[in-house]
Amino acid sequence: MDLGKRGAIKKINKLLTDKEISCKELTNRYIEEIEKSDLNAYVIMCEDNALKSAEKVDKKISLGEKIGVLEGIPMTLKDNISTTGIETKCCSKILEGYKPIYNATAWELLQNKGAVLLGKTNMDEFAMGSACENSCMGRAKNPHDKSRVTGGSSGGGAAAVSGNLAAYALGSDTGGSIRQPASFCGIVGLKPTYGSVSRYGLIAYASSFDQIGPIAQTAEDAAIIFDAICGHDSKDSTSVKIEGGPSYNEINNSIKGLKIGIPKEYYDGVNEEVKSSIEKAMKVYESLGAKIEYFSLPEVKYSLPVYYILVCAEAASNLARFDGVRYGYRTENYKDINEMMCKTRSEGFGAEVKRRILLGNYVLSSGYYDAYYKKAQDLRKVIANAFNGAFEKFDVFLTPTSPFTAFEAGKEYGSPTEIYLADICTAPVNTVGIPGISVPCGFDSKNLPIGMQILGAKFSEAKLLNVAHQYEIATNYENNKCLETGVRL
Amino acid sequence: MISREEVLNLANLSKLYLDEEEIENIRKEMDSMINFANEINSLDAKCEKLPEINNISNAFREDEIVESYPQEEILKNVDGGREGFFYIKKSN
Repeated sequence: MDLGKRGAIKKINKLLTDKEISCKELTNRYIEEIEKSDLNAYVIMCEDNALKSAEKVDKKISLGEKIGVLEGIPMTLKDNISTTGIETKCCSKILEGYKPIYNATAWELLQNKGAVLLGKTNMDEFAMGSACENSCMGRAKNPHDKSRVTGGSSGGGAAAVSGNLAAYALGSDTGGSIRQPASFCGIVGLKPTYGSVSRYGLIAYASSFDQIGPIAQTAEDAAIIFDAICGHDSKDSTSVKIEGGPSYNEINNSIKGLKIGIPKEYYDGVNEEVKSSIEKAMKVYESLGAKIEYFSLPEVKYSLPVYYILVCAEAASNLARFDGVRYGYRTENYKDINEMMCKTRSEGFGAEVKRRILLGNYVLSSGYYDAYYKKAQDLRKVIANAFNGAFEKFDVFLTPTSPFTAFEAGKEYGSPTEIYLADICTAPVNTVGIPGISVPCGFDSKNLPIGMQILGAKFSEAKLLNVAHQYEIATNYENNKCLETGVRL
Repeated sequence: MISREEVLNLANLSKLYLDEEEIENIRKEMDSMINFANEINSLDAKCEKLPEINNISNAFREDEIVESYPQEEILKNVDGGREGFFYIKKSN
């Protein structure tokens, strides 16, 4: 079934329309491979629903009807994206057994296009983490080296796509949770502009940072998915109508004359192999006629503390709703409602979630509010202003996605704040609200994938996907390596 | 270092119980997190004239009555509730 280059969506669409395989057979193959796999990418399977959706697609094909490009494509959703009647628990004990009574809009849109949902994928509890190790379901494993982390928090989705256990996945990105695991697993991850994709039904972590986006084999696939999920939704008042046509129509544009800015601060303390791999990518872009220019963006340096202060504050208020009254886990024995809530939360939340709730309430409490929360809000504007200014000069920025490649699982990497530094390259994007895409750009000496990140001004997704796609074509997809696992198309 | 009392107050605000070991760990961790947050204190934030971050005006819909979710569906997440209400045991 080898149709050459990477990219799953159009390949599967062709296989289905040419009747080389039925959607049911294909779906069954994915289900079998997921059951055999030890990646722990999936936390819940939806076999029956998946096969029913597949049968519908097969019926359409047998009747000679035309199918859409996403119709019949087996995919997966992160465990924080609501699915009617299917457990959605953010990989937290506190939401055990919770079955939403509505679909997230992003999923509803894909379902209406005939997507086949295989299951829900692993994540750090409430999306708090950069390794997918803070999950009540155990960690997901990196298909490139199972002893290493997938990155996080959308680690399960990244492992599923990289390990060929789904054609694509939807993840969520609050400070890098789509891009960093995509980078660690050698695939593409797009964090759209804040407001591009409806957050309705995405269980909130930090509402002014969260965004749903695609995890895919290639930028072309990511463009197809993004076009299907973006747009205004009356159920999310922060979502906006996107100007212009589908981003897919732009991916083949020439990038001759493109101005690529290299913000120096992003390269401080970055692993040498990562750095040299991105420098090679710069050469590729120059050969395509782009102009590379280094510049300084000093505001990046303090965007990480600003990010952590604000996300913890938002998390503390968002997670106040988990009180054991209305859904999920409730403690067994209690003498009054206060004890019921405290025991439920103490037993239901993991250590990292508790840590962030406590810090969030600290920065929001009187006496500290002005010094931390308000100051961080003010600096957020200063950082955004600096980014916006730089985008008047450059079309896109090129940076690493992570300062290093996938690290070994199960090890202590220092204090929580030392671990937070891993988000240094990704968090500024969410602080500012702009889009960013991670694209595979090489491998280190241990054969682990390296990702580069392309950033653009608000609502420049089409440009980012175009710039990413042109690189993949120019390098003949050599960095989007197909692993010998799962369903190989 | 952040005091034991302060941690207990935060735990109370957060509706969390912490055991002795957790209190000591949190004191240490909070200390490093607060130092990290303090990095922004030295910075000057002149932002009066800058626009709001996610400069999106709220997209309101017409205030029309639309069908809501059925009560019994919502209550399925707590074993059906009782007489249309969420139900927890009465305090002693």
